[in-house]
Amino acid sequence: MAQNRTFKFTNPQRVEKILSQYPDKRSATLPLLHLAQEQEGYLTSAAIEAVAELVEIHPGEMMDTVSFYTMFYTKPMGKNHVQVCQTLSCSLNGADSLVDHISEKYKIAHGDVSQDGKISLVKVECLGSCDTAPVIRINDSNYESMTVEKFDKIVESI
Amino acid sequence: MPLIKIDDKEIEVEKGITVLQAAIDERIEIPYYCYHPALSIVGSCRMCLVEIEGMPKLQVSCNTTIGELPPERKKDGKYDMIVRTQTEIVKRERENVLEFLLLNHPLDCPVCDQAGECYLQDYSYKYGRAHSRFLEEKRVRKNEYLGSNVIINHNRCIMCTRCVRFTREISGTNELFVQARGDVSKISIFEDKSLDNMLAGNVIDICPVGALLSTDYIHKNRFWNLEAKKSICTDCSVGCNILVYSQNNRIYRLNARENHNVNGYFICDIGRYGFHRYEDAEKVTSPLIRSDGGFKPISWEGALKEIYEQFSMSMSGEKQQIVGIASPFHTNESLFMFGRLMNNIFKDKSIIGKLPFIEDYEIHFDSGFRISKDRSPNRKGLLDFCPNLEDEILQKVKAGEVRLCYALDDGVDRKLDEEWESFFKSQRFLVVQTYAMTPLAKLAHLILLGPSPMEREGTMTNDQGRIQWLNPSVSLTNKTRPDWEIIMEFMNTVGKRELKYTSVNEVNLEMGERFPDYRGRTFFKIGYQGLPKKNITTSRPSEGRQAIQ
Amino acid sequence: MASFEPILTRHIHREDSHTLSGYKNVGGYKALEKMFKTMAPDEVIEEVNASNLRGRGGAGFPTGVKWGFIPKDSHKPTYLICNADESEPGTFKDRLLLNKTPHMMLEGMIISSYAIDCHLAFIYIRGEFYQEHKILEKAVEEAYATNLLGNDILGSGFDLEVVIHRGAGAYICGEEMGLIESLEGKRGWPRIKPPFPAIEGYLRCPTIVSNVETLACLPHILNRGADWFKSIGSEKGSGPKLYCISGRVNNPGVYEEPLGILLTDLIFKRGGGLIDGRELKAVFPGGSSSAILRADEIDGLRMDFDSLSAAKTMLGSAGIIVMDETVDMVSVCLNIARFYAHESCGQCTPCREGTTWLVKILNRIYQGNGSLNDIDMIFEITDNIGGLIDFSKGSFGKTICPFGEAVAWPIRSFVEKFKDEFIAYVAKGVEVS
Ligand SMILES: Cc1cc2nc3c(=O)[nH]c(=O)nc-3n(C[C@H](O)[C@H](O)[C@H](O)COP(=O)(O)O)c2cc1C
Ligand code: SF4
Ligand code: SF4
Ligand code: FES
Ligand code: FES
Repeated sequence: MAQNRTFKFTNPQRVEKILSQYPDKRSATLPLLHLAQEQEGYLTSAAIEAVAELVEIHPGEMMDTVSFYTMFYTKPMGKNHVQVCQTLSCSLNGADSLVDHISEKYKIAHGDVSQDGKISLVKVECLGSCDTAPVIRINDSNYESMTVEKFDKIVESI
Repeated sequence: MPLIKIDDKEIEVEKGITVLQAAIDERIEIPYYCYHPALSIVGSCRMCLVEIEGMPKLQVSCNTTIGELPPERKKDGKYDMIVRTQTEIVKRERENVLEFLLLNHPLDCPVCDQAGECYLQDYSYKYGRAHSRFLEEKRVRKNEYLGSNVIINHNRCIMCTRCVRFTREISGTNELFVQARGDVSKISIFEDKSLDNMLAGNVIDICPVGALLSTDYIHKNRFWNLEAKKSICTDCSVGCNILVYSQNNRIYRLNARENHNVNGYFICDIGRYGFHRYEDAEKVTSPLIRSDGGFKPISWEGALKEIYEQFSMSMSGEKQQIVGIASPFHTNESLFMFGRLMNNIFKDKSIIGKLPFIEDYEIHFDSGFRISKDRSPNRKGLLDFCPNLEDEILQKVKAGEVRLCYALDDGVDRKLDEEWESFFKSQRFLVVQTYAMTPLAKLAHLILLGPSPMEREGTMTNDQGRIQWLNPSVSLTNKTRPDWEIIMEFMNTVGKRELKYTSVNEVNLEMGERFPDYRGRTFFKIGYQGLPKKNITTSRPSEGRQAIQ
Repeated sequence: MASFEPILTRHIHREDSHTLSGYKNVGGYKALEKMFKTMAPDEVIEEVNASNLRGRGGAGFPTGVKWGFIPKDSHKPTYLICNADESEPGTFKDRLLLNKTPHMMLEGMIISSYAIDCHLAFIYIRGEFYQEHKILEKAVEEAYATNLLGNDILGSGFDLEVVIHRGAGAYICGEEMGLIESLEGKRGWPRIKPPFPAIEGYLRCPTIVSNVETLACLPHILNRGADWFKSIGSEKGSGPKLYCISGRVNNPGVYEEPLGILLTDLIFKRGGGLIDGRELKAVFPGGSSSAILRADEIDGLRMDFDSLSAAKTMLGSAGIIVMDETVDMVSVCLNIARFYAHESCGQCTPCREGTTWLVKILNRIYQGNGSLNDIDMIFEITDNIGGLIDFSKGSFGKTICPFGEAVAWPIRSFVEKFKDEFIAYVAKGVEVS
């Protein structure tokens, strides 16, 4: 997919606010990256360079940070980004069959986006909700005590 | 000062230094990878573990600082720390770390450029396990070009991050970074922002394994074939200390050599790859004399005879007939001889000038590394030994005067503008001492074959007034004679002297006799680390002339 | 079970427990008022020291003692960071507090900041906690609006700003030095210690990192006194504790009990026993980084720092993961190893290389292609990454941060305690081939 060549924050006040909260510029890195990702769905190279410029570091150093964290994406994800917890408690309670179901239904593996761009799938680690395992996160919301049926219903509804 | 014991050795150390530094200073070997004296400490390779009495776990020696204990808590009644580097536990731990490092390593030493100077190869031989217990497939990745002649072989990288820290802390350019995390992490560059700085080549030197390679050297030779000579770089007036690697009189590569009074641990890429400029130059292989619009070889005797004929007549002639063109690319010894020739033999019939200094941007790195704007190695020496140097020689020398000119070649990059070209063309007889058919040499009537910068020997004075030894990294070719010797012959021929120096060291001694700032600055004294001039203030012209007479 | 009245979670069932008014209605921010009126910072430190409060983030280090490490003569600012990165598998207690009673933690942060003279504090909340982040934002807003944060808090002359900082998906950022690097905008590679964060932490200034639950205890200590706090639990660890129970139990969830409660009580009483009345096989007592305990090892075992460490495991994050008789230990061990390989930050050689090696071997065994030698190799590799258990084999603590031990402990315990299952896998593989 062609990447946007330029990037501009649509909410400059928010950027100012974030920068003003920290004693140094670089500390604003993570919140600014979150903001950029919210805006574009993922982090384009242009966005990474723009944030780097804001906090006054080299884009390479910015990429060093970006690439460390699993929640930052450098390529587009599906409209519904499905994150299935695969860690112990969820796995003990049936996470694997959820992954299989989603993989089969949408013909996607871990890290893929479905052809229509509607669904993407990643396996993630413990979401801190083990008492309601298995847990799936779709975009920013957690769905607890998941079953295959429940999952299909939720996806339909959003 | 804390007193510590490392194995059986008692050492007094400066408070606050690390155990690893103390060991390195004492030449006690503790293997390490991620530590580099010029870089911040990360303590990640875990290779430098040692046992420290009273501590429950092994400690990384690179991040363990030595302090002073109160008298009642001294170990064995007197030590501030007792360190053991050879116990079973330490040995086993090294074995383990090496095993981990070698898991995904291709073990391709036979084709690796680093072989022979690789700390992985070296340490696994000394400290490793004999057999790999890793049955899995190795991680395999393609080589990538990072920029500035540097290639990375990811399979060999041990993630010590020295190279990354170098671009952050020394070059300050930040191009290299670690991509991703865990065992899939790798050293990377961001899109088109490739490694691009004047110090880039140093990452190859500091990479403890063969992961960073120079496109300039890759697969050209093996380390054990090469002979390393300690010398100094002549590409600017900082005079960085270098190691020159050669085989059969051919130079293959240059590395930085540590000197804390000059360049620290590093050199710039101008110097690192600069030797190719000399390779590319059209070489002169014999003294030459102009003939039918071209040149033809002439013997040294013939050349000296020619000089005698041209120059001895002028001894009794009019004033200022002889122009000497000195050069900041020559050693102090040659310049000293040149100054003597001009000032003592031709005396006030001569005038000494120089071509315009070769200058470029001054480059300063926050880490303190510096590339001087003066891109010649010995301006200080030139001014010291030819104190009556005429800056505006073109103005001073009136057109139409009958003149003889003796010019020492300049840097290999020397170009001549029209004004200078016509100046040289107007000389009645032009002698050029050079090793290459430079634009200046092309105008000569007589070419004297001197050494190339890589063949020269003697001292140079850097812009801080530090006298350093320029060590020839390749030996003199056939008919070439040392610069000082040619000048000596010039003096003997024209001035009827009987100078019989047999080596540059004798010239150096004589030079010290006449120039107090240089007294005792012999090779044996200054060694490979150099020494400052005796009296750092440069001698004034009048003093200089006195000294010569 | 002796009756114990919850302290941290007492009011969380109220609909408005997460709001300022809800919190104030049940006595919230009273401790703060009391502190500003009657206590000097040193007295706060003394009180917390006297309470024997030990950190709830995993290491169990006494909070007051940690405060004492801050240099007295430093001219640099001091920072407090609330560690809300909760990512340890099997752990979800901080999330409950963030969701249900964020003001309790905030009050604790103000108290702690006052004690250590900090005027800018951060809450590092894990990126995945999106809803919690929203709730927290609201809570901080409310606090600013009512002068519980900002300048001259409640007329005390004390100023404090609080900034919420979201992580972005990295377990290692829960480790205090990884967290600090991450807050500085870098990758979460834990910095080597020393210097310790209390001396050189965030931006190389003195920094205290405290867990959400630790901070939530502070208002209660000031309200009711150190003696009261100490009277809860045992001598070895006092105060209330949140336990997370998950896995194959009937009533998974967070339960508040005193430190030192019996593990069996938690599993069988609060957790409602095992699903379908199955037999207990093994349990992680303190998150996936603790060594597992076999069913026959837990009788009479008390959930406090020292008792668990005597049992060669740890209280850790108090994430109890229950495995019943049907659970396949090889596959669980592989699951855990895979988690650590994925989360290793990758700077230390043993951790970076060792974790993936373990996954490869375990995978091989799981696929039926393993050998007995592989089982021995697992022992060796875990020892070499962070071996803590068999001291005769070598030193321990071989990596920059305790992650190395967090890998070694559980993996090793699986193979050690259920070796027969691993051998069975190997044997099955031999049969097949
Ligand atoms: C790998 C690793 C992960 C950790 N994750 C967390 C975490 O998610 N939350 C937490 O509070 N402490 C975590 N810790 C412990 C912190 O390093 C630190 O000790 C703690 O936040 C201090 O707070 P406390 O004194 O209140 O316990 C972790 C430690 C390690 C080694
Ligand atoms: S390329 Fe060399 S210097 Fe850079 S991290 Fe790898 S091993 Fe270290
Ligand atoms: S032990 Fe592992 S997680 Fe911790 S710093 Fe080292 S590599 Fe990173
Ligand atoms: S294991 Fe899935 S939420 Fe904890
Ligand atoms: S040199 Fe000490 S850990 Fe790498």
